[in-house]
Amino acid sequence: MSKKGEEIPDYKKDKKRVDGRKMDELRPLSIKVGVIPNANGSAYVEWGQNKVYATVYGPREALPKHTQNPFKAVVKATYRMAAFSVPDRKNPRPNRRDQEISKVLSEALEKSVFVEQFPNTEISVFVEVIDSNAGSRVACLVAASVAMADAGIPMRDLISATGVGKAFNEIILDLNKEEEDAPDAVDVPLGILPNSDEIVLLQMDGLLTKEEWKKVIALGIKGCKQVYEIQKNALKEKFELGNVSESDDSGNALEKKKETGKKMKEEKGKEKIKERSEKEKKVKK
Amino acid sequence: MKEVVVPGQIVSEDRKKLGSNVYVANGRIYSKVLGITDTEGEYANVVPLNGLYMPVQDDAVIGIVSRVVFAGFGIDMNSFATSFIPKSAMREELRVGDVISAKVSYVNELREADLDFARKMQGGEIIEVTPVRVPRLIGKNASMLELLKSGTGANIIIGKNGRVWARDGDIGLLKELVSFIEANSYKSHLTSTIEEMLKKKKKLK
Amino acid sequence: MRSTILEYEISKVVEMAKEGKRLDGRKADEMRKLTIETGFAGNAEGSARVRLGETEVVAGLKMLTGVPYPDSPNEGSISIGAELLPLANPDYESGPPSMVEVEIGRVVDRGIRESKAIDFSKLCIREGELSWIGFIDFYAINSDGNIFDAGAIAALLCFMQGKIPKLDEKDKIIKGEFTGKLELKRLPILTTFVKVGGTILLDPTYIEEKAAEARFSVSTTEDGFMAAMQKGIGGSFKAGEIDEMIEKAFEVGKGVRAKISKL
Repeated sequence: MSKKGEEIPDYKKDKKRVDGRKMDELRPLSIKVGVIPNANGSAYVEWGQNKVYATVYGPREALPKHTQNPFKAVVKATYRMAAFSVPDRKNPRPNRRDQEISKVLSEALEKSVFVEQFPNTEISVFVEVIDSNAGSRVACLVAASVAMADAGIPMRDLISATGVGKAFNEIILDLNKEEEDAPDAVDVPLGILPNSDEIVLLQMDGLLTKEEWKKVIALGIKGCKQVYEIQKNALKEKFELGNVSESDDSGNALEKKKETGKKMKEEKGKEKIKERSEKEKKVKK
Repeated sequence: MKEVVVPGQIVSEDRKKLGSNVYVANGRIYSKVLGITDTEGEYANVVPLNGLYMPVQDDAVIGIVSRVVFAGFGIDMNSFATSFIPKSAMREELRVGDVISAKVSYVNELREADLDFARKMQGGEIIEVTPVRVPRLIGKNASMLELLKSGTGANIIIGKNGRVWARDGDIGLLKELVSFIEANSYKSHLTSTIEEMLKKKKKLK
Repeated sequence: MRSTILEYEISKVVEMAKEGKRLDGRKADEMRKLTIETGFAGNAEGSARVRLGETEVVAGLKMLTGVPYPDSPNEGSISIGAELLPLANPDYESGPPSMVEVEIGRVVDRGIRESKAIDFSKLCIREGELSWIGFIDFYAINSDGNIFDAGAIAALLCFMQGKIPKLDEKDKIIKGEFTGKLELKRLPILTTFVKVGGTILLDPTYIEEKAAEARFSVSTTEDGFMAAMQKGIGGSFKAGEIDEMIEKAFEVGKGVRAKISKL
């Protein structure tokens, strides 16, 4: 980080974007884990106006049989948008854009999974956008990765992602629709494995110089790290809620535990998360 | 110290033997799954929150007949690969939906399981649990299982593949206890907690 | 994988239904908990999320302009479609609309259209030239049965919010500006039953639908009309059973209407 950190643009403090954000500020991001009971793993992400669901089914037998690979699992992501999720009604049939995004998402996700543990199977990932405003594919990748972890699939790392790029002559994080429509707009959907900073999703549309690119990628990675913290906390929260009580040796009845346990746990969970992140900071130093 | 970790998070800075659900990169031990760390012994382990059943030799399992063909029966194992029992190995005819108990005799490199000692279960009910939490239902030296049996008066067979078969006795109470154990599977002294609960309900003396 | 345990549970559901019992402990004529949420989709002219037990459906309304049909030059129209996303259930597959999806979409569509809740003549912009078409698309997000009723409530909630966009002088929609709202004269509520082991069950779960011999849906209004009916799946009902279900559907409709009209 240290060397890359120097590339992050130095903004004037009073400068604001069209929606009042700072140049390096994400839109509000919230993640809920385990929202779809039918699935092995699931997540719901609200990111600015974007709202997406992700589910994971499997690993399950890959069908038809010729799609099976005896050495590894196939990760197959399907990206779809609800007809009402865009300003003009979208034709419900999947178009070329949907197919391309499905492909790049599948490939990004596959890199994060220990696929060799599940020969002949498919890990099916479905993402559905129900409201959008620029950046739906990275919202989907963030949701899908969390859903995979929720499903208990063995992974090298989570995938954190964000949009980054340029608009109105500024290098900015997490472009909204208005910024994406700027005359000089450059949109870079970026997904990384946050432990190693390896890039698993990268696309770009627009004109960018080499110098600008360096700033874009440094800012993007910084943004991904912020997203990562939110992903981590969402998963841990689910873990805590899924395990009703904390106290080890009391013989209380279930009902009583449920009431008191929940509150205690929430606090304890937060402390733990704090401790953990502090620890990690030390490790990095 | 037990800690909740997500995939890719460091499990231990110390040199430890690699246990389950961990991997090594750059000399550090990382978690593969969302789970809770267990690093007190010489191994670094992560106990996962969720996950599929992966068959292991000698596991006792509860299967459901999913297909009947000329040569034998396809058995749903709650895993990603279906198992197969030849007709010659079964005394009884099986129909789709029948429940069997069996032992895993062999697991091949594609993680498909061969089954042995298959037996058709008459009647009863199946309670589904997260496979990774089954060990807590059995307990040390089957202490939890014995407690559940005496507390509910039910016949119980626990399949490692996340299925509990039970008949007779207080099945409602059993379901309640099983879901309690599932929800509290990371706590210590679970057996004594369950014992207390049963005593309060006057199911045990 | 889950489908096998389903096979096993289906026989259980049939056995229990014969004694009037259900797997989830409900009474035969008891509905699951209904929760609703509206207006989540900023790009839609109306949106709703409906949960019926574990079933979850999202729906959205898009108002578009089009040329009126020649046989009704002074009317607009509506169009309702259902999609059972593979996201929602391990048994669902991707692909073009299945027969099941077409049926669900059409039953929900008729339940609202035929109730005359929406005055189509008010959707006319210029006779014979331009009118509004209200497109509702609803999606199963988690499917535990009865997408019919959940979808119908979600669609109705979308119409209840129904904002009518403003047009510029070239008849193009001005984003974010509206001239008014759709008016609903009635609130038709679709109510679905299945027959399992000879017993009629209200608001079936996914397993109950799988176990069902026959299915019946009826759309009822607050002023005592039935707007649409559909009998589905192979089995049959006696006329007396239909009467019973209609009676119950009016009662259910009243409860649901009370809940959604508060919004």
